[in-house]
Amino acid sequence: MDMFHDNPMLQGVRQMLGAFAKQMIRPIAIKHDQEESMPWDLMKAAQSVGMTQTAVLDGRKRLTGIDEDPDPKKPRSQARIGVAASEELAWGCPGIALALGGSGLAAAPIARMGNDEQKDEFRKLLKGTDEQGHIKIAAMALSEPGTGSDISGMKTAARRDGNYWIIRGSKQWITNGRSASAYVVWAQTEPAAGRAGVRGFLVARETPGLVPGKKETKLGIRASETAQVHFEDVRVHQDMMLGGAHSGDGPAGGLADTKKMLDATRPAVGAQAVGIARAAYEYLLDRVRRGTLHGTPMASHQHIMFELAEMHMEIAASRLLVHRAAWMADHHLDNVADASAAKAHGARTVQYVTNRAMVLLGEEALEPGHLVEKCYRDAKIYDIFEGTGQIQRRIISRTLTGQNPT
Amino acid sequence: MDFRLDDEQEMIVQTIRRFADRDLRGWAADADRAGAPPERLHAMAAELGFFLDAVPAANAGALDGAYSHTLRALRGFELGRGCAGMAALLETNVEPALAARAWGTSAAQQALFGSLAAGGLATFAHDSRGLLEIEDTGGLRVSGKLGPTPALAAASHVLVAAGDLLFLIATEGLARQPITPSGWRAARWATATLDAHRVPADFVLARGEPGRTAIAAVLSWIRTSLAARAAGVATGAMEHAFAYARDRVQFGQPIGTFESLIRLRDDALTGASAARLMALYAAWAIDTSAPDAADAASRARVHAGDVVARATVDALQIFGGYGFVNDYPAEKLMRDARAFEALYGDERLGRVLAAKAQATAR
Repeated sequence: MDMFHDNPMLQGVRQMLGAFAKQMIRPIAIKHDQEESMPWDLMKAAQSVGMTQTAVLDGRKRLTGIDEDPDPKKPRSQARIGVAASEELAWGCPGIALALGGSGLAAAPIARMGNDEQKDEFRKLLKGTDEQGHIKIAAMALSEPGTGSDISGMKTAARRDGNYWIIRGSKQWITNGRSASAYVVWAQTEPAAGRAGVRGFLVARETPGLVPGKKETKLGIRASETAQVHFEDVRVHQDMMLGGAHSGDGPAGGLADTKKMLDATRPAVGAQAVGIARAAYEYLLDRVRRGTLHGTPMASHQHIMFELAEMHMEIAASRLLVHRAAWMADHHLDNVADASAAKAHGARTVQYVTNRAMVLLGEEALEPGHLVEKCYRDAKIYDIFEGTGQIQRRIISRTLTGQNPT
Repeated sequence: MDFRLDDEQEMIVQTIRRFADRDLRGWAADADRAGAPPERLHAMAAELGFFLDAVPAANAGALDGAYSHTLRALRGFELGRGCAGMAALLETNVEPALAARAWGTSAAQQALFGSLAAGGLATFAHDSRGLLEIEDTGGLRVSGKLGPTPALAAASHVLVAAGDLLFLIATEGLARQPITPSGWRAARWATATLDAHRVPADFVLARGEPGRTAIAAVLSWIRTSLAARAAGVATGAMEHAFAYARDRVQFGQPIGTFESLIRLRDDALTGASAARLMALYAAWAIDTSAPDAADAASRARVHAGDVVARATVDALQIFGGYGFVNDYPAEKLMRDARAFEALYGDERLGRVLAAKAQATAR
């Protein structure tokens, strides 16, 4: 398989989502950043081009026209499609991209661990519109006030009550946390079993005791809603537990599976970072091509031109790492360290590029609503969520020294 | 060589440190959200000697004798630890006042000092990219855009450096657009659009070679002050981050005991410490008319700009997810860091262009 040329399908994804980002996302990006509001109209419109809130469950055929080969030994293309799509959408606006795809965070564990009944229930919960006329969305509730990087210290607990589980605890930094109609919440069902006792539950918004908390005011990705969610003795039928109860036979359905799922998203998160870096770099590139400094073309100054070259190199290197990690996933190769490298390098690149672009643009980039200033604020979360830069370096270095990376 | 502070310096540092720790830090989050300083800032800061410290005593100010840029750098570091946005307001009168004192006509001095003595503000803008169009026939006709500039929304006068011209503009009648950028949000920013705006001849402070010399001096003052404040922001960011890191436990230990995070703090404080010393050296060089004062101020700002950008990003990293939301000061500090590098032009670029011009002239 040739890694260095896009196949026609990937080219199609790039072109379609690139055009979507340019025509539909970018024109509203600053507005939603400034208002810190969700792009509900766009989220509705996006469904018509296949970006549905249940797309992760329903497969990518509507988006790409191609079904995955069910043979688990044959190469797939979903990871590479994912990174190509992620870069384009984040180029438009990573906050809006997350608003469009945030439900996928909840759909992913259901696709991986859910049975048919749970999948149908998830689809049912996301059908139609909510009381405000918005399309229905979903949230995955994993992180807690006391557990950021260290999710094994989870405090949210589920205790059994006949055929039901009673969930109690608080979740933090939850994408779509206030507006979701369906939640996948992770809770400890058997403290003695440690990580293996953690299970996911599908919970409908209107379930008594589910209380959305404070919406966070964030540095970046402000078009995506982030909130606390409280579970005050929420009663959930055992049929809505993903992967079945802990049996002592292994971690299937437990936190280990969830961690694998997070590992699988890292190349796409790295690709989003590449998309933001590219947005800032392209803005600067355009300015350098057309701008002047004391009456001389900006492009006549080595100081500026070499910085452009540095940015170009870093973005290209990050993109290659991202695509390599995705290619490995599609070829069923162990890519844990490579996915971490792709994510961590992408985070570093986007912070470097947005920082330098702001400096080179000077005072203009301080104006409210400046695209590059927004990119700078959006960039930082890429070194924090989905595993901090420190967690990625831990995974990479432990792999290098022959230790268990997780 | 003696690195110890004298009694007056020590007293001012302690006073401003208390003000920064108790008041500025206490007000910072609300001022950031509101995009404006608290009303009591002006009165409290005036009591501490801000606003009139560079206005001559003969004009109802507090300056008797030489101005001490060393004292200003010492206090600037403490202000930076408190809040960069409010610090910008507290320091905003210094450049216009010192420039008017050094090169102003009596008309310019009377207009500016009269306004400042009555509680007004002034600010400074630098046309670092040569974008203003200026017709000079004794008086000036100025067209183009000024800013974004802190304090411009509230200022009665703005000192402008453009090419080899240093001049004062009264803002009355000037088309100003108040803005609230994402950093230094309390600093009453604005841009101004000038369309053949008339500057009277007696508001032109310097032109030609004397103009270049005057502008170099003004830029040295503000670069030094910016560097000191930036070093303070970087230091303050790590103070906040490690107060958090002492309490935050992950993987069974306070995150402040992780080597990688200790390294982030150590690098930041090493850089901030160097930036503070570079700013203090530049200030001393200005105060003693040392020949390398302008270069020292510029170098201090380059380094302090790098340090504050890195330190605030790393401080946020230590806060993790909490750093990204506005419950903690980290994300504000990261936003505040930007103006230190962006205002008055890219310092590295300025240095390169100046060195190139010098090399070409040889």
